[in-house]
Amino acid sequence: MILSDLLTRPVIDAHGHSLGRVLDVRFVIDGAPGQLLAEARLAGLIISPRAATSFLGYERTDEKSPWLIASYLRWRHRGSFFVRWEDVDRLTSTRIVLARSYRKRSAALPD
Amino acid sequence: MKQLLAVALGVLTAIGGFLDIGDLVTSSVVGSRFGMALVWVIVLGVIGICVFAQMSGRVAAISGRATFEIIRERLGARMAVANLGASFLINLLTLTAEVGGVALALQLASSIEPTLWVPVAAFAVWLVIWRVKFSIMENVTGLLGLSLIVFAVAVFLLHPDWASLTGQAMSPSVPATETGATYWYYAIALFGSAMTPYEVFFFSSGGVEEKWTKKDLGQSRVNVLVGFPLGGILSIAIAACATIVLLPQGIQVTSLSQVALPVSEAGGKLAVAFVIVGMVAATFGATLETTLSSGYTIAQFFGWSWGKFRRPIKAARFHLVMILCLLFAIGVLATGADPVMITEYSVVFSAIALPLTYLPILLVANDKQYMGDEVNGRATNAVALAFLVIIVVASLAAIPLMIITGAGA
Repeated sequence: MILSDLLTRPVIDAHGHSLGRVLDVRFVIDGAPGQLLAEARLAGLIISPRAATSFLGYERTDEKSPWLIASYLRWRHRGSFFVRWEDVDRLTSTRIVLARSYRKRSAALPD
Repeated sequence: MKQLLAVALGVLTAIGGFLDIGDLVTSSVVGSRFGMALVWVIVLGVIGICVFAQMSGRVAAISGRATFEIIRERLGARMAVANLGASFLINLLTLTAEVGGVALALQLASSIEPTLWVPVAAFAVWLVIWRVKFSIMENVTGLLGLSLIVFAVAVFLLHPDWASLTGQAMSPSVPATETGATYWYYAIALFGSAMTPYEVFFFSSGGVEEKWTKKDLGQSRVNVLVGFPLGGILSIAIAACATIVLLPQGIQVTSLSQVALPVSEAGGKLAVAFVIVGMVAATFGATLETTLSSGYTIAQFFGWSWGKFRRPIKAARFHLVMILCLLFAIGVLATGADPVMITEYSVVFSAIALPLTYLPILLVANDKQYMGDEVNGRATNAVALAFLVIIVVASLAAIPLMIITGAGA
């Protein structure tokens, strides 16, 4: 699997309701130690019900300026949420299906 | 004392380096058709380039990395491709115009056809990029470019009606011979020529080449905030010369000899000699900058090693890109395409691409992870956002106006 298999892919829940599209994926660096950094592990997906374009970094809550652009991008992506990779049930050729027990988590990256 | 000299050198280089073929041609064309009625655009454009150039200089000094590298890393591949595509193509067009400009300027000195000068000029550019140290390259072309001050001197020698000149500039109106659409088309062209994207990439990559640190921030600010406005005054002087001499006689600017004509009327052969030296230096300097910018943008996007501070063998792909771009310019000019025409198009297309260039720089300059405490202040952000609005409007209006006016005809 490569990143493009996930990005902009529509996401549905177990009942077939549409949840939005994959906007971004988030990694944590806690895998086996590598030469420079530990290996990255896919933590989960950021799903946006509205637009599948980038947050341009404004998911980090301490990035507030320029105010106009920051608030526009947050408004544009309102309702975005994070789901853990474990909550993904399966990938079909066109869609990503979440498990019945998935939980919406905050997409914000606090300081 | 040594520090003062360094500051003075930086400022002088910035003044001499500010003008390129775009400013020379566009200012003169505008002066010959609209008088001083578009001078406010030069002032606006200079403020804009100051805001964004000092921003990108600061990014380079604080993070030690060029703007483009950070754009790719911070905004992701898609946004960076849009930025790269726009910037690189415009830059290639500008590069072609500048090489043509060197050839035209050399033609003034030698009366040898520009098409014959093109390969010679391009070869000289390549040689300088391959061999000459970055700081020497910048200082020599910048200082020689100062000869263009002769345009400002010429304005005084021509004993103009000062009241009428300032009157036109202060309360601009569209001349009876022109339409509103051409007025605004040339306003956009002039804006594009002042805010050409390559200047920003070049400025930030240059900061990395010269290994700026936080210590050099003051110097880089002075260079921009003093040097560029003074360069802008030269741009206004060129427009004034055209207003005084070319406009009343209805002379159209179709080559560099018309740009130089008012100076020769004012100061004779000696003044023309200064103009020629200045024009060769300004266009040659700008060719170096655009050529390097083409290498910088591509190499920084793909993460290749780049920079003149490395030996060419250590940055082979960077040098290869520049050679290919120079060959492209030679190829286009060999078809006999008119460099003045190319210049006029390049400044308008610059204006069209401006939002894609300047928005990412603004975002990066606001990112604490790269900039720490040196992120943009509120005032800078307010001015920059106001400029982004102007830039977007100019960009959207450019193509319709180009069609309506038949490219300003």
